[in-house]
Amino acid sequence: MIRDDLERRRRRTANIFTLAMLAVWFVVGWIEPPYLLPGPGNVAERLWGFVIDPHMWVHAGASLLHVIAAVAGSIVIGGALALLAYYLPVFRLAVHGRLSPFLNSFSGTGWVLLAVLWFGLGGFTVVFSLAMVLIPFAIINVRQGLESIDPELIEMGRSFGRSGFKRFRLIILPALTPFLFSTVRICFGVSWKALLTAELFGGDKGFGRLFNLARQDYDTPLVVTVIVIIVAAVYASDRYLFEPAQARLSAHYEAL
Amino acid sequence: MKRSDLANSVAERIIGEGLPLLFVFLWWLTARSLPSFILPGPIETGATLLQLFIDPAFVGDTLISLARVVASVILAVILGGALAALARYVPSTAYAVQRRVLPVLNSFPSVGWAILATFWFRPDSGSVIFVETLILIPFCAIALMQGIADMDRELLEMGASFSRSGIKIAWKIALPMLLPYVMSSVRIAYGVGWKIALVSELFGVDHGLGYLMLRAEVIGNTAMVFASCFAIVIIFVAGEKLIIDPLARRFAVH
Repeated sequence: MIRDDLERRRRRTANIFTLAMLAVWFVVGWIEPPYLLPGPGNVAERLWGFVIDPHMWVHAGASLLHVIAAVAGSIVIGGALALLAYYLPVFRLAVHGRLSPFLNSFSGTGWVLLAVLWFGLGGFTVVFSLAMVLIPFAIINVRQGLESIDPELIEMGRSFGRSGFKRFRLIILPALTPFLFSTVRICFGVSWKALLTAELFGGDKGFGRLFNLARQDYDTPLVVTVIVIIVAAVYASDRYLFEPAQARLSAHYEAL
Repeated sequence: MKRSDLANSVAERIIGEGLPLLFVFLWWLTARSLPSFILPGPIETGATLLQLFIDPAFVGDTLISLARVVASVILAVILGGALAALARYVPSTAYAVQRRVLPVLNSFPSVGWAILATFWFRPDSGSVIFVETLILIPFCAIALMQGIADMDRELLEMGASFSRSGIKIAWKIALPMLLPYVMSSVRIAYGVGWKIALVSELFGVDHGLGYLMLRAEVIGNTAMVFASCFAIVIIFVAGEKLIIDPLARRFAVH
C-alpha cells in the first residue's frame, strides 16, 4: 500500500516536472526571439514540416545508414580483434594493452578531421570516424563475453571431438550472443551522439549536415528540431526496442 | 613457470611492445611518399606535439583546455551528486531524475549543446565549461546514485544512534563510504571530458586544443591535427596515472 502510494507520487512528480519544463520552455520561447530559443509550438511546427518533407527523410535515412554501417563495421573489426587475442594469447597485450586503450583515448573529433583530410566529404568519412570511436567499445565488450565463457564447457566440447570451427559455432558464438547484443546497444547509443559531429564536418548528407546549414543560417528551430528527433529516437529505441529485446534474450539464456 | 609459458609471455611482450614500433615505422614509411597535408611523418608530428607543451604560443591553448576539463569535471560531480542525492532523499523526485532529466541529458548530442551555447552565450571559457558540464552530469549522477544506494544503512543508523548532528554523520560516515564512487565518477568524467573537450571548443572560442585543431584542419596543417589528438592522449593518461589512480587508491574501501 505504502509502496503503491510512493510509486504514484513518483509518477505524478515526474509528470508535473515534464509539464513544468514545457511551461518554462514555452514562456522563455515566447519572451526570447526564435533564433535564441524557439518555443515548443515553433519546434512542433518544424517537426511536422520535417515529417512531410521527403528531402528531410533522405537526411534521416542517410544518418540511420551511417549509424548501422558504423555499428556493424565496428562489431566485425572489434570482435575480430578480441577473438584474435582470445585464440592467440600472444596478441593479448597488443590488442588489450596497446590498441584498445589508444583508440579509446583518441579524440572522436580528431578522427573526423583526419578523415576529412584523407577521404574528403562523404558517407565513407562519416562511417570511418564513427567506427573508429566504436571499435574500442566492441573490443572491450566481446573480450568481457569471451572471458565469461565457462572453460569447462570448452573443455567438454574439445573432449567430444568438436573441431575448432564447430566449437566456435556451437559453444562460443551462442555464449557470446548476449554480449554481442549489449555491444550493439551501447554502440548504437554512442554512435548517435558522435554522428552529428562526424556529419557536420565530414558528411554531405544526414542530420549533421542539416545542423551545419542551420548553424550557418542561425536557424535555431531546425537545430532544436534535429535535437528533439535524436533524443526521441535514442530514448525510444533503447526503451522500446533494445531493453525488451535484451530482457527476452536474458530470459532465454537463463532458461537454458 | 614452465618453459612454454615463459616463451609465450616473452612473445606476448615482444608483439605488444613491437606493435606501436611497427605502427610508427609503417607511418614513417607511408608518410615519406605522401605530402605533409595528407600524412605528416612521425618526426614532424612529434616536433609539433612538443611545441604544444613547451612553445609559449601553444602551451596556453593546452593549459586552457586542461583547466576547462578540470572545472567541468568538478562541476559535473557536484551537480550530478546533487541530482543523485535528490532522487534518494526526496523519494517522490526519483522518477523525475531517473526517467526525465538523466535520459534526456544522456541522449542529448554534445554538438547540439555546443551549437546552442554559441547562440546563447558569448563564446568563451564559460560557454565551453557549460557544454562540457552538461554532457558529463549524467555520467556522474549515475555513478553517484549507485554509491548512495550501496551505502551501508546499518552503519548510518549506528552513527545516528551516537550523534544527532546530520553534518557529523554525513562527514564522518556517509562521505567516506561515498568517496570510492566519487572517484569512479571523476575517472569516468575525466575520460569522457577529454573526448568531448574538442567538440565544445570547435565553435566560436579562440583558445584551446579544439580551436587549434579546427584552425589546423582549415589550413591543411595535418601535423597539428595529429599533435592535438596525441596531446590529449598524453594529458589523459598522465592525469589518470599521476592524479586519479593515487587518489582512488587513497580513498579505496579497505
